[in-house]
Amino acid sequence: MILIVNTTENKEITSRISEELKSKNITFEIMETADKKIGHCIGCNYCWLKTPGICSVKDDYEEILKKLVNSDQLWVISNTALGFIDHKGKNIIDRIIPLATMHLYFKKKQMRHVLRYKKHTDVGFVYIGEADREYLNKWSERVAVNFGSKSLGAFPKEDWKEAAACMY
Amino acid sequence: MHVLIINGSPRVKKFSNTDKILQVFNEGMMESDNTYEQYEVSNRNQWEKIRNAFDRCDNILIALPLFVECIPGLLLEFLETVTPKSGNATMSFILQSGFAEGVQLRCGEEYLQKLAGLLGCRYGGTLVKGNNFSIRLVEGQERENMTAPYKDMGRIFGQKGNFEDEECRKFTGPEIFPAPVRLLVGLMFKTFAAKSFEKTAKEWGCTRPLKDRPYQAG
Repeated sequence: MILIVNTTENKEITSRISEELKSKNITFEIMETADKKIGHCIGCNYCWLKTPGICSVKDDYEEILKKLVNSDQLWVISNTALGFIDHKGKNIIDRIIPLATMHLYFKKKQMRHVLRYKKHTDVGFVYIGEADREYLNKWSERVAVNFGSKSLGAFPKEDWKEAAACMY
Repeated sequence: MHVLIINGSPRVKKFSNTDKILQVFNEGMMESDNTYEQYEVSNRNQWEKIRNAFDRCDNILIALPLFVECIPGLLLEFLETVTPKSGNATMSFILQSGFAEGVQLRCGEEYLQKLAGLLGCRYGGTLVKGNNFSIRLVEGQERENMTAPYKDMGRIFGQKGNFEDEECRKFTGPEIFPAPVRLLVGLMFKTFAAKSFEKTAKEWGCTRPLKDRPYQAG
């Protein structure tokens, strides 16, 4: 299942992606979150040490988390700020950490958290606005390393068809 | 030198590892003839004050924890609201994380270097160091042992106004642990560290296994 989280007000892009994926019979779900209540990660570590796997911030993010454990891919559509995805896009990624546990091990010479679920979700980004694509691609690779998955890349809105071609 | 210090951690000050680091760092910085004002982005009531100080100050230090390979969403949200400066100010960073190896923080550091320029400031370098997860979980001498090295870095920053000194670069420690260390630490993760996490969890009122799967995949 492909999960697409659109943190922007731009519904045209999700409409286009939706048409494209339907034409290929691909299973997907689009979550429009621009008007949803989704806060930032407060760094409390409760999801690791007090309520394992459950975020202490009670808002609309839990719906995303529940779907993530069954998703092969997560795509975040985000506006940009300061050369990067904006805070709404970053919050979607920061809040993923309940998928990891507190336990640690070494993988490819680096410390990693032991992951909570067997399914490891690949990550990709579509961004709207000015950003440093090279850096976003590098960052996306690192995000994926943390979740035992692979990066699907970062695509400017104009290249949405390229992004959609990776959704299968 | 007058320094604006922004604690970019989204965690409240009382439990903020970044704040504990800053307390010690600031002691070292104040050994020279310096002054500072410190604010927390975790307190939205301070945001207007921080913006005013940002406009006014020419030496800005942002201390932050690494959140999924880059800056925390809340700090990004705050920085989206400031007006970039005109190029006369210096912006430096203290980047800290739970993961211990230097390599874990480099992607975040790379962004901070770009960020200083995007905010109209000269980049004054980033003090990079991991292995800080437990600072708030310990007290007394144990906590002092973890934070004390930051005093020397504060001293250097207080004298030079940036982190361009070779000592600051070395402060990170190993980029990757050698194989024997990985073997030893890996064993520690499975034994001592695992028990220690379970003990903390129990103290925090946790009643489920730490590897619990509340949203079992279908």
